[in-house]
Amino acid sequence: MLTMHNISKIYRTDLIETHALRNFSVEVSAGEFVAVSGPSGSGKTTFLNVAGLLEEFESGTYRLEDQDVSRLSDDARSRLRNEKIGFIFQSFNLIPDLNVYDNVDVPLRYRRLKSADRHERITSALELVGLGSRVKHMPAQLSGGQQQRVAIARAIAGDPAFLLADEPTGNLDSLMARQVMDLLEQINEMGTTIILVTHDPELARRAQRNIHVIDGQISDFKFYEPRPAPPPLAGANVSAL
Amino acid sequence: MGWNIRPIMSALLRNRTGAVLVAVQIAIALAVLVNAIYIVHQRIEKMRSPTGVDWPNQFWVQSEGFTSRFKAEPSMREDLRYLRSLDGVVDATPANSVPMGWSNQSTYLFTNPNQKGAQLNVSFYAMDEHGLNTLGAHLIAGRAFRADEILPPLQAQNATEFVPEVIVTQSLAKLLFPGQSALGKVVYDDAGKAATIIGIINDVIAPSWSVIQGWNHVMLIPRTASMYGIGYLVRTLPGRRDAVMSEVEQHLAASNPERVIQEVKSLEFFRTLLYREDRNMEVFLVTVTLLVVTICCVGIFGLATFNVSTRTKQIGTRRAVGGRRLDIIRYFMVENALITTAGIIVGCALALAVGYWLSLRYQLPRLDLYYLVGGILVLWFVGQLASWQPARRAAAVPPSVATRTV
Amino acid sequence: MLGYYLHLALKSFRRNPGLTAVMVGAIALGIAVCVVTLTVYHAMSGNPIWWKNDRLYAVTMDLWDPQKPANPRHPELPPAQMSYNDATAIAASGIPERSVVMFREEGVVTGGSAQRKPLPAATRMTTADFFSMFEVPFLYGSGWNAAADSAPEPLIVLSKKENERLFGGVNSVGRTLRWNDQPFRVVGVLDDWFPVPKFFDVTTGAFGRPEDVYIPLRWGMRLELAPNGGSTDCWALQEIHSYRDFLNSDCVWLQMWVELPSAASRARMQSFMDAYWADQHRAGRFLRPRNNRLTPVDQWLIDNDVVDNDNRVFVGMACAFLAVCLINTVGILLARFLGRAPVTGVRRALGASRRDVFVQHLVEVGAVAIAGACCGLLLAVVGLWGLHALYAAPERGGYQELAHFDNASILWAIALAAASAAAAGLYPAWRIGRMPPAAYLKSQ
Repeated sequence: MLTMHNISKIYRTDLIETHALRNFSVEVSAGEFVAVSGPSGSGKTTFLNVAGLLEEFESGTYRLEDQDVSRLSDDARSRLRNEKIGFIFQSFNLIPDLNVYDNVDVPLRYRRLKSADRHERITSALELVGLGSRVKHMPAQLSGGQQQRVAIARAIAGDPAFLLADEPTGNLDSLMARQVMDLLEQINEMGTTIILVTHDPELARRAQRNIHVIDGQISDFKFYEPRPAPPPLAGANVSAL
Repeated sequence: MGWNIRPIMSALLRNRTGAVLVAVQIAIALAVLVNAIYIVHQRIEKMRSPTGVDWPNQFWVQSEGFTSRFKAEPSMREDLRYLRSLDGVVDATPANSVPMGWSNQSTYLFTNPNQKGAQLNVSFYAMDEHGLNTLGAHLIAGRAFRADEILPPLQAQNATEFVPEVIVTQSLAKLLFPGQSALGKVVYDDAGKAATIIGIINDVIAPSWSVIQGWNHVMLIPRTASMYGIGYLVRTLPGRRDAVMSEVEQHLAASNPERVIQEVKSLEFFRTLLYREDRNMEVFLVTVTLLVVTICCVGIFGLATFNVSTRTKQIGTRRAVGGRRLDIIRYFMVENALITTAGIIVGCALALAVGYWLSLRYQLPRLDLYYLVGGILVLWFVGQLASWQPARRAAAVPPSVATRTV
Repeated sequence: MLGYYLHLALKSFRRNPGLTAVMVGAIALGIAVCVVTLTVYHAMSGNPIWWKNDRLYAVTMDLWDPQKPANPRHPELPPAQMSYNDATAIAASGIPERSVVMFREEGVVTGGSAQRKPLPAATRMTTADFFSMFEVPFLYGSGWNAAADSAPEPLIVLSKKENERLFGGVNSVGRTLRWNDQPFRVVGVLDDWFPVPKFFDVTTGAFGRPEDVYIPLRWGMRLELAPNGGSTDCWALQEIHSYRDFLNSDCVWLQMWVELPSAASRARMQSFMDAYWADQHRAGRFLRPRNNRLTPVDQWLIDNDVVDNDNRVFVGMACAFLAVCLINTVGILLARFLGRAPVTGVRRALGASRRDVFVQHLVEVGAVAIAGACCGLLLAVVGLWGLHALYAAPERGGYQELAHFDNASILWAIALAAASAAAAGLYPAWRIGRMPPAAYLKSQ
């Protein structure tokens, strides 16, 4: 579904040239749950920006769902981001003065969908993440875990080709983190491709495949057997989150 | 940390837009402020110029005979007798026009009979021997008209008959005969007829039409004019004017059915009208200038606040490495001072350019540098004042902000 | 989509109401001041008979003193009025479609059914074409015809106000009244008519009311009336001992206008005037260089300094003020938009194109500008009403009808609002639209 071949991304300032990605190639098939991991400064943020069509790159090719998206105009890239990619950020990035419903609504608006269509998608996405009852709440009234789940709803409401998650549990405590990862696995089981970018090797292990990046290049990758879900913590009440 | 202007300046130059916007506002505000004060000052000077007459206590009566039975001279005599007998009236005189009034009669005066050389457009008041006293003017040299010197009104359109004697104002005398006494000298009208100057009085303001044209040369002639209607100038005791005005209007309107009283208006009314434009200009300019400076102030305040809010991390870091609150305040005040100064420099050029253009267009004297200096001081002060509060708020940012990640 | 953007804009306003109020207030004030000064300027400098600007011409000839010009302020211009003989001769040419020769007089009217005492009345002595040339509307009756010009009759036309004063406003056509104690018969009553400026006679105050009473010119000659209430200018060397002498003199005291429907008739009029001038010059008159002019109304207003310089200062200051307000607004908007950059970054990541972001912010600016314009219009109405009140008192030279709110004011306000929105908002909206999506995203 997604193919990057020999991608090179260079950041230039007046004095310094940084090769953030060097001859980077990766393939992701539909339905996969892939992790991209590495230490700070390894280039995984750059990979995220390039994969998410947030930035352009100097050389190489990028194909997404049989379309060459290497050299597109800004407008075309915006369109693609809207239709094909669902973002999930470390700091949730919900819009603070919109309520839950309106936050999930944002990408759908840019797709010029009809009001009834949007409503249906939003409500089913929120049901899926378990926040159907918090439709009118403002982000400030939600816990970190709930906010991230709204962000996930926002990401899946548009039926994207894949989700791109940037350290999704970085700002959450371990309990909420587990819930979010469970949710992501659930979504993946329903057929959505997920690319997870993280520096936490524990998190990376929950994916099917881990691509390890150092200094802008892939150093190795591992395949993991699907592991059984870890036992629930004693006394935890999932729905309280 | 010293004043450190250079790093502040280079930081400013890298992020110019907000600063440029504020500087432009300051420039325009300075140009507006300086030129507004300039214009207002001119107008105030104009309005304060002395009239030379006792205008708070004077009023004008215009009588119009409209039937064939109307007899001008007897009517005038009777009216004047009545007016002078009234309690509260100092004196009354027939007049063709009054200082600052709407009607105006004027002629050209020459100092030689061949209309060569200096010629002046001069408004004249045709009054009788009570004229000086009614005007409230005083003699500087020579004498007033005598009763037997007063000529009867011109009949029909005898535009060419001049008078044998005239009384001129001091500045008119100086213009006609510079460096010598004008007393006893002869002046000529444009038909070559001669008149002797028998008296010189203090400067008296002309009717409004003349004043607006910029001609304020006035002379008195000894004639009771009635070709263009009959008018009286009446002078009352202080405080009695309004009461006397209404009494006169009532009596005169009823006393003679062959005529109507067209209007009874005080000289104060004419004066207000004459300077109305100037008053409006003053009010408008002062208001708009205040508004412009206020908006400018708001702009400076806004930019300073914005700068502080986007740089809290930087402020925290500065404090964390040892900067005191005073250093932070100084930083922002210096930054603001740089912007204000830039705006003022551009504003000076703008102000001078506009001032120059105005002086050309309106034939005004050149913009005095005092105005400019005053304007600069005011705006500089306002600029610093506006940025004081945001600078204080910046100083209140705690050093712990430096280590926060969210 | 616009509805969505409007919704977002309103949220933005609510989040920072103080700053929004400052923006709207500044724009409102700037627009209000501009609308007021522009309305007054437009009223005072406009051509009240603009649709006839290519047909109506003021007739002037320079018969003045060879030593000095008639108007020291504009030495290239002839005197603004004509002498009796010259006006009569030019009018007799037969070339213009219509012509009018007139002067102003002060009179006293008695005998109206509703009046109790003699009333002073500003009077215009004019030939018949006055009413048709200047398209003066009639409430009752009509003017007199050309016959009454040559064999004059004691006819009179009243203004609406004068008719109300004298007859209580009823149809007074056919009634008689006395003007300066002479009997006259009413043939017409005018409807409301107040051209601003009073272009046809600027010598008696360019913004005064038109006269209340109109009488055939020749009848005024019969009564041997000199312009009392108008302006008479004579230059030198003339012995005048009788009315006849006055009529024959070079004193100027009559206003003259002609209506020339085509360029050809204008050319013929000009040559007639030039030929007449040549004749008179040979006979010893017209000692100054030939300066026969046919001046259309808009140029006439300029020549006679009708447009007040002060008004230009007002407009200039108002523009400077609006500029400062707008620049201020740009600053505030820029700060606001850039401060919101992280949120905008998220929107871009979620698929908003540059255009989407640009339009969204433009809508916000537009909302501010519209709010500012509406408030500004209200303020302008208040301001103009205030001007009204300030200037209401004196009749002569009063600005009564002047500063009124008309369609022009609304157009100014709309135009200013649009211009303000564009000026204030385009740059900040464009700046924020150009932002690359990754720049402000809080990624690692």
